[in-house]
Amino acid sequence: MIFREVEDRDLIAKARHGQVEAYNVLITRWEKRVFNYLYRLVGQREDALDLSQDVFLKAYQNLKKLEDPAKFAGWLFRIAHNEAYSLLRKNRPEGEITGELKTSEASGRLYPVELNLTVARALEKLSPDQREAVLLKVYQGFKFEEMAEILGCPVSTIKSRLYTALDLLKQTLAPIDVEEA
Amino acid sequence: MSCSVVDAKAYFLGELEKRDQAQVENHLGACAECREELERLGVMRTALATLPDEEVPRRIAFVSDKVFEPRWWQTIWRSGPAMGFASAALLTAAILVHGATRPPVTIIKEKQVASVDPAAINKHIDEEVAKRVDVVVAQQKQQTAQMLEASERRYEQRRQKDLADFQQAMRYQNQQMNHWMVASNDQPVPRGAQ
Repeated sequence: MIFREVEDRDLIAKARHGQVEAYNVLITRWEKRVFNYLYRLVGQREDALDLSQDVFLKAYQNLKKLEDPAKFAGWLFRIAHNEAYSLLRKNRPEGEITGELKTSEASGRLYPVELNLTVARALEKLSPDQREAVLLKVYQGFKFEEMAEILGCPVSTIKSRLYTALDLLKQTLAPIDVEEA
Repeated sequence: MSCSVVDAKAYFLGELEKRDQAQVENHLGACAECREELERLGVMRTALATLPDEEVPRRIAFVSDKVFEPRWWQTIWRSGPAMGFASAALLTAAILVHGATRPPVTIIKEKQVASVDPAAINKHIDEEVAKRVDVVVAQQKQQTAQMLEASERRYEQRRQKDLADFQQAMRYQNQQMNHWMVASNDQPVPRGAQ
């Protein structure tokens, strides 16, 4: 892991001096994570791909502004967050960005395909803020402080969004057995 | 829901310090509500993990545009270490060129001048000249002797050869004379002479 970090730092340094190939190597390391984050956030593959390209282009253009190369991941996801929310605001009026909460509709044993659909639907039911908190924490493994930097809000807000999202996901994906209860 | 004594979700998400982790673990032994909370969070995370990562539909890559690429001097100018190294190299080169082109400065110390004795130098020069002359004379004598010896050797060889030729000619002449004498003795005497 340390070796990988050093390599990323080296690639960033080369990309800063105009070596596009070094930046392309950096893209191959991060494009899948960024694409999946955006795809689960905006829900459309083509949109997610377009956003991913925009994210990496903006990152390249602003690479010299990155003060600490060790924080490249958080910096990159902050750009991705901004790009995603620009699209969400464009597609939906301001008041509708926050999603509505619904009660659980899945219960009992699920097969893999059904489980995937159920998980996808459960994530879709979350508000974009809550979903993004889950994506950054559960799927991308960022710490609270890193999430606060990416999303530009206090850790307390992050915890609030995430805890609410986890409670909602629990209702869908790990419901309390009525007979046991 | 978990009880409000500990932050079970932070514990579940790995966000607690070791001391707080130990506190939660002690609490879990006595609180069924928090144990159930953690169990459900675990089930939820397992379900979330089943969602597969999507492959990127098209690879993202950028091509180098020569128009917007920095020039070589811009690259050097923007690179602090490279600029420092180049400056040091230029300074070193300038010092070396200056040292190579400037005539050397001769510093004569009075003490050294005072210690030189002209008579000793002349004597040393005379000795060296005499030594060299002796060597040259000896070489010339040797060469002359070799030339004389070679000349004498050639003269002797020629003399020997001439002597041999002369002796051979004399033998041939004697033989001819003998033949003539024998032939004249073998001629018949005329009848009138008997």
